[in-house]
Amino acid sequence: MAVSNERRLLEPWQDPKAPPYLRIDRVTKTFGDLYAVDDVSLNIFKGEFFSLLGSSGCGKSTLLRLLAGFEYPTSGRIYIDGVDVTDVPPYARPVNMMFQSYALFPHMTVEQNVEFGLKQDRVAKKERQERVGEMLDLLKIMELRKRRPDQLSGGQRQRVALARSLARHPKLLLLDEPLGALDKRLRESTQFELVNLQERLGITFVTVTHDQEEAMTMSTRIAVMDAGQIMQVDTPTAIYEFPNCRLTAEFIGSVNLFEGKVMEREGDQVLIEARHGGILRMRSLHPHPLGTPVTVAIRPEKMRLSDGPAEDGVNRLSGVVEDIAYLGDVSIYRIRANGGQLVEMTLTNIQPRTEQALTWEQDVSVEWSPTSGVVLTE
Amino acid sequence: MSIGAGPQSQGSRRLSRLVNIGIPYVWLGVFFLLPFVIVLQISVAEPALAQPPYTALWEWIDDGLLQIQINLRNFMLIGEDDIYLAAFLNSLWVALVCTLLCLLLGYPMAYAIATAPERWRVLLLMLIVLPFWTSFLIRVYAWIGILNSGGLLNTFLLWLGVIDQPMQILHTQTAVYIGILYSYLPFMILPLYANLTRLDPTLLEAAEDLGCRPMRAFVEITLPLSKPGIIAGSMLVFIPVVGEFVIPDLLGGPDSLMVGKLLWTEFFSNQDWPLASALAILLLGLLVVPFVLMQRMQQTMDETQP
Repeated sequence: MAVSNERRLLEPWQDPKAPPYLRIDRVTKTFGDLYAVDDVSLNIFKGEFFSLLGSSGCGKSTLLRLLAGFEYPTSGRIYIDGVDVTDVPPYARPVNMMFQSYALFPHMTVEQNVEFGLKQDRVAKKERQERVGEMLDLLKIMELRKRRPDQLSGGQRQRVALARSLARHPKLLLLDEPLGALDKRLRESTQFELVNLQERLGITFVTVTHDQEEAMTMSTRIAVMDAGQIMQVDTPTAIYEFPNCRLTAEFIGSVNLFEGKVMEREGDQVLIEARHGGILRMRSLHPHPLGTPVTVAIRPEKMRLSDGPAEDGVNRLSGVVEDIAYLGDVSIYRIRANGGQLVEMTLTNIQPRTEQALTWEQDVSVEWSPTSGVVLTE
Repeated sequence: MSIGAGPQSQGSRRLSRLVNIGIPYVWLGVFFLLPFVIVLQISVAEPALAQPPYTALWEWIDDGLLQIQINLRNFMLIGEDDIYLAAFLNSLWVALVCTLLCLLLGYPMAYAIATAPERWRVLLLMLIVLPFWTSFLIRVYAWIGILNSGGLLNTFLLWLGVIDQPMQILHTQTAVYIGILYSYLPFMILPLYANLTRLDPTLLEAAEDLGCRPMRAFVEITLPLSKPGIIAGSMLVFIPVVGEFVIPDLLGGPDSLMVGKLLWTEFFSNQDWPLASALAILLLGLLVVPFVLMQRMQQTMDETQP
């Protein structure tokens, strides 16, 4: 019982009585004929690090701009901390945004940039200086305070932009591709820093990203978007392990998809006849009627590879190794199954590459267990 | 790439660099420095009934001696007669007023064009540039037809019933202001437009996001960032207007005394080339010195601001 209580505290979205901090209620935004955001409803809770994930043009940036107030919804309402802000202009919203381009004011020093929002709020000069100092300390950019944006590196600019958007203590911080302009190494270290910062300040973060790894590392929850709609909202683990549709499964990580028809149900498992041959036995709680077309999604690392030819059987396919990609920590194998389908799987390189027996054109078989994947209906 | 080609290509590169830098210098030397030196030389000569109508700067006298005569009479004359000082002050005043009016009128227009939808911009810019397709002189002449007592403006105002007898606008200082404003407005709008289109609109969004109302965002972000455009436009208007001759001559009256007009009179009516040249040199000094100082100031400001 204690465990479930704690879980509830950490995951307010599990609690139907928890009041959402940001409520997006059936919001639609059209540009001419284009539905940029199409009937989106979303509840985000206080202290969350929420990510909107999708490829470019999926509507995630428009949704963020709707939250900031730069666009007004065609229909639907937006509530922040219980207050309807749908028609409130950006300068009056308790929201701040960190822009993808950072949008630092080029004619002001770092200090003046960070101070700008506080000045607009008519904070007294003494308090203003204190809070600017706090922010500069927090982001470790105190020694840059007299510089202008064009005298800063990309990483430094990102910190200034973050300091500027946090200085007003917004109820909601919106981040548009916060790490998009940084190089890979800096991006990884900044990811952790951003999460620490968010936990320390307790400010609710909503970020937009097209980088699934970034979303997975930082977020409490992720909303996967496509064509203006939200496909799935869940924790990173749930999104990865239990995608609810092909699009989500394919967007996050790699996945093997087997199309087939439901043949039989045995308790909590179903038997599926694959289109390319073979029979799959998967766990599924969904009441699939017999004969319905389904897709089985199995992650490449959840399969076992066996050396040598084998009979096709339940949850087992045989084939030959067609391609090997050595990535250092893992290797990706592409196996052409006898039924013609290409199966991708990853193996951790426990042994040095030179010691491994598997090579091209070798006969192998691939196996998995009923809990290794999910059955998707669409 | 063979190693042998190295020094040769380096040499030819040096030559091409020399040519590239050389051409503008030669151009400036021939068309700016040389005429300036000639004018400077005439300004220290004496008027004479000769061809050209001034004395030579140097002369060989009998025993092979070179005699150089520098005559500061012209500059002293300009200092003695109040009319020159009045003309200078009036020109500067007119230029200042016109620059400010151009800025007040041109800034909103440049801003409107810069923020107009993309497909409108070309057309709007075209409308600004279109008057240049007609000769400047003809356009100023056209204003005579508009401003004179039987002209378009008076006829229209009479018809409206705003006035019951024609106003005297032509040959007044007002007509000069109207003419200059009309002629120089594009020189203010174009650099401002060029500057304002480069302004990143997300900066304004950022300002609004940080609690700044749009009007204030204009004052705090757009205006300071368009400073280079304001300076460029103002210089393009101010400098030629100080020496403007055609507009005060055609539209102005006896009270519109400007250096340009005075200069013209000295040159052509009085045939006093040295005095006219001295006026031109003073005018140049008047315009160059403040701008050099301003540039210096700007530079030191940029240097002190880390």
